[in-house]
Amino acid sequence: MLLTRMTRATVVMAGTAAMVALAACGGGGGGGGEPGAQDMDPETCGPAGDLTVLTWRTDLVEDGTFDAYVADFKEAYPEIGDVDIQGITDYEGEVKTRMSTDDYGDVLAIPGSVSPDQLSQFFEPLGELSEMQTQYRWVEPESFEGLSYGIPVVGNVMGAVYNVEVFESAGVTDFATTPEEFLTDLEAVKAANPGIAPLYTNYKDGWPLTAWQSYVGGVSGDPEFTNGMTTDEAPWSGGSDMEVIDGLLYDVVAQGLTEADPTTTNWEQSKQMLATGQIGVMMLGSWAIPQMQDAAEAAGESRDIIGYMPFPVQTDGTFHAVAGGDYNLAINVHSSNKCAARAWIDWFNHESGFSESQIGLSPLVDGPVPESLQAFIEDVELVEMAAAPEGQESLFSDIDTESGILTTSPDYRMKIVDDARSGARTKQQVFDDLNAAWGEAVQAVSAG
Amino acid sequence: MRQIVISAVKYASLVVASVMMLLPVALIITGSFKTNQEFLTTGPFDAPENWLNLSNYATAFTRGGMLLGFANTAIILVAAITGTILIGAAAAYAIDRFTFRGRTATLALFLLATLVPAVTTQVATFQVVKALGLYNSQGALIVLFMGTDIISIYIFVQFMRSIPRSLDEAAKIDGAGHLRIFLQVILPNLKPAIATVIIIKGIAIYNEFYIPFLYITNPDLRPISTSLFAFKGPFGAQWEVISAGVVITIIPILVLFLALQRYVYNGFTSGATK
Amino acid sequence: MVPYLFVLAPIALLVTFTYVPVANMFAYSVTDWDGLDRVKNFVGLANYVDVFTEPDNLRVFVVSLYYLGASFVQMALALYFATVLSFRVRLKNLWKGILFFPYLINGVAIGLIFLNFIRPGGGLDSALLAVGLESVIRQWTGDPEVINYTLAAVSVWRYMGLNFVMFLGAIASVPGEIYEAAELDGANRWHQFRHLILPSIKPIVGLSFILAISGSLSVFEVPYIMTNGGNGSETFVIRTIKMAFENNKVGLASAMAVVLLAIVLVVTCVQRRLVPEEKVDLT
Repeated sequence: MLLTRMTRATVVMAGTAAMVALAACGGGGGGGGEPGAQDMDPETCGPAGDLTVLTWRTDLVEDGTFDAYVADFKEAYPEIGDVDIQGITDYEGEVKTRMSTDDYGDVLAIPGSVSPDQLSQFFEPLGELSEMQTQYRWVEPESFEGLSYGIPVVGNVMGAVYNVEVFESAGVTDFATTPEEFLTDLEAVKAANPGIAPLYTNYKDGWPLTAWQSYVGGVSGDPEFTNGMTTDEAPWSGGSDMEVIDGLLYDVVAQGLTEADPTTTNWEQSKQMLATGQIGVMMLGSWAIPQMQDAAEAAGESRDIIGYMPFPVQTDGTFHAVAGGDYNLAINVHSSNKCAARAWIDWFNHESGFSESQIGLSPLVDGPVPESLQAFIEDVELVEMAAAPEGQESLFSDIDTESGILTTSPDYRMKIVDDARSGARTKQQVFDDLNAAWGEAVQAVSAG
Repeated sequence: MRQIVISAVKYASLVVASVMMLLPVALIITGSFKTNQEFLTTGPFDAPENWLNLSNYATAFTRGGMLLGFANTAIILVAAITGTILIGAAAAYAIDRFTFRGRTATLALFLLATLVPAVTTQVATFQVVKALGLYNSQGALIVLFMGTDIISIYIFVQFMRSIPRSLDEAAKIDGAGHLRIFLQVILPNLKPAIATVIIIKGIAIYNEFYIPFLYITNPDLRPISTSLFAFKGPFGAQWEVISAGVVITIIPILVLFLALQRYVYNGFTSGATK
Repeated sequence: MVPYLFVLAPIALLVTFTYVPVANMFAYSVTDWDGLDRVKNFVGLANYVDVFTEPDNLRVFVVSLYYLGASFVQMALALYFATVLSFRVRLKNLWKGILFFPYLINGVAIGLIFLNFIRPGGGLDSALLAVGLESVIRQWTGDPEVINYTLAAVSVWRYMGLNFVMFLGAIASVPGEIYEAAELDGANRWHQFRHLILPSIKPIVGLSFILAISGSLSVFEVPYIMTNGGNGSETFVIRTIKMAFENNKVGLASAMAVVLLAIVLVVTCVQRRLVPEEKVDLT
């Protein structure tokens, strides 16, 4: 190393640099397009030019599905130039980082960690909420002060995707109605099929664990559950949704009913494994069904081997399942081609056939329910989570961030899995710690 | 007898160490020639059925975008190394050949910067890059590789001292200005130092993961290391393709190493001790 | 005027990409900035208190101890092989190349190579099985007791070659005649090692020891690529980055970065005290 003497001059210089830097970072700057400055009605604005679309569906970019969409889209709007589809593997993480700059494509899906009060900072309003609601479902969560910023591409219902033969081989034919019964079923599955993972967490990829948060509301059937958490200083108690969901995760791992080594899980491979009976069940939204069916077909099995079951809890004698939008498409507020961006979003929702191909609920109010979800929907009562009351849109995410729990990040449930495996904390200790952190944050946020 | 035992221990330890070093790489190589079914059903030590099965390489190149990755890496490499050489040599020239007010301070500023590990400051550097409008561009990588490299300046300063001042003076008598002296006398004489910088800097940039990972998200602009990292997503169930991708990234470095062994060793021993 | 023109560009880059960020980092570290909001609220030293009290933040220091331990193993191995190869050995260049080459491999490639190698039923398990050591087989990254040893071992695999080549270079700087003279005096290999080799590489070993401390806190690539910091393998840098870019706690992340920087500076000062160097004068 080469430092001989640190001179007085150095210290002075470093000090000066610090002052310059402080002065430089004082002014923040927006830039690019102004909200509302561009005509965005595809009928009148004449979509043309180049477009950049960010997507989380790397698989559909990879297999050419998106190329076909782009070709169809260009046919509908011949003036459109290049459509650059960028598939992003770690969508949440990368896009979030990218959003701290102006460069995050023209069309993108709103990352889950953006809080409603930040929407206008990043996205172009797409219309009045009240008006949008006459056309689209699930626009509320990505709205703020009466304006909507994103339209869901597809609706999901939250259940669990399972291998029918594996469960039948264990003599399990009825859906479990309590977490305890579910654990017993999984024990039976394990006994009948030694060596398989009765439930696969997909721990390593992270996001499949985040998805557990989407069951919130589906336990109690209470659409207000998330809103209620903003005043609840101990949400992991009293048989609440959070306690039941995270408790099930803890138990299923602690009882050895998941993959032996969660750090080597592999999402792409898990589809194959479910299809070929090496996995019993995965806790994933209905969007996963077609991908699993494809994998079954690719592995030479029948598509019917993939079944869908409700979350194993009944309240008042019925199963509940949360229905909601998957990612919502939005337009970058800094986009220079908002007209074409809007055309893409509308076309994608109305013309592309994406939601049907994904066996999801249509985001359109009068859209059809796909056949393969029909049976499931008859078994359950659907719950649509209520939006936050006006003025409190960002309260939940403020508390969430303040508490350091971050229910939108995989780390929190990865830690539950770690603790359940190592026994470093008991289930109750996990809940106590979560309650303490959450309670403190509720107080801090309401005070500050 | 003792001699023989010592010798046996010596060679045994070398063989064991070499096996440990080579085995993980060898398994990636054999894996890259297997088909998907083979990879899943055969053991890691089983030879591939067809040693000439290059389909995984084709997949990695075409669908994995490695060709683009190499092209991007090449652009960044050439630009950043050219910049580093010019800047490093210019700074070294000024520091070694002139006395000027603030010379000591300048020197100290460079020396102090060697102590700041770049990995710690990215949280804040990110904001600077963003403010300059360089986010998600290869420009960000180029300026960062140029601007945060103090080792090359050090190498140039060291070497500059061995270039006799009489050469500068002779040129000056011939009527050359400072710029001409720099370009026509200093730079050509710095060749060995430049070679060292090209080697260590080139390898470092080629291998750099964190900076491109943080600053480039557009798949079309990605250099080779993040292109390879992106394999984990879509090819997650195709380890044979990932293996091919790994082998592809290693080959250029291996070729370089075999061709220039002596320079590589010298470069790293002089570079690493700073 | 002339010299200023020559140093202008280097200084501008240096200030922009090193000093401005360092200064900003200090500024952010006393705010609650989330990286996006237009406003930054001053919160005093709260972030620093968090760094040293929050159990999840403290854990990363524990993780770095594994890497610190590993770097000692790494140096011992490097020293051994450097000594062996400084005497007459067949195929010297081949051994040297094999031991050094991993250092030149891309971090991403290394991560993937080892993910493949240590996966259940992968190369490592098969190799252990083949030599009758199946009782040693573990979940290399799945077992929380083992994961950090595994990752630290990968780090040894990767960096040992660099230490080795540096030691070898230092040993080679002792002129051959001295060894010959020693041999004539009847000195055996141990004596040669003890009295000739060790003193010649003492400065570089000292330097390496001290660099190991800051190195073990700056570990990032391999654990990030292999485990993404899961299962208790989160390192200081991984956590800093997650805090800054995923958890929207740029203030806290900056405080962590400042702490890391402070440790590196202190360690370097100590090193300067302990290992005076001849070849440091640039002026």
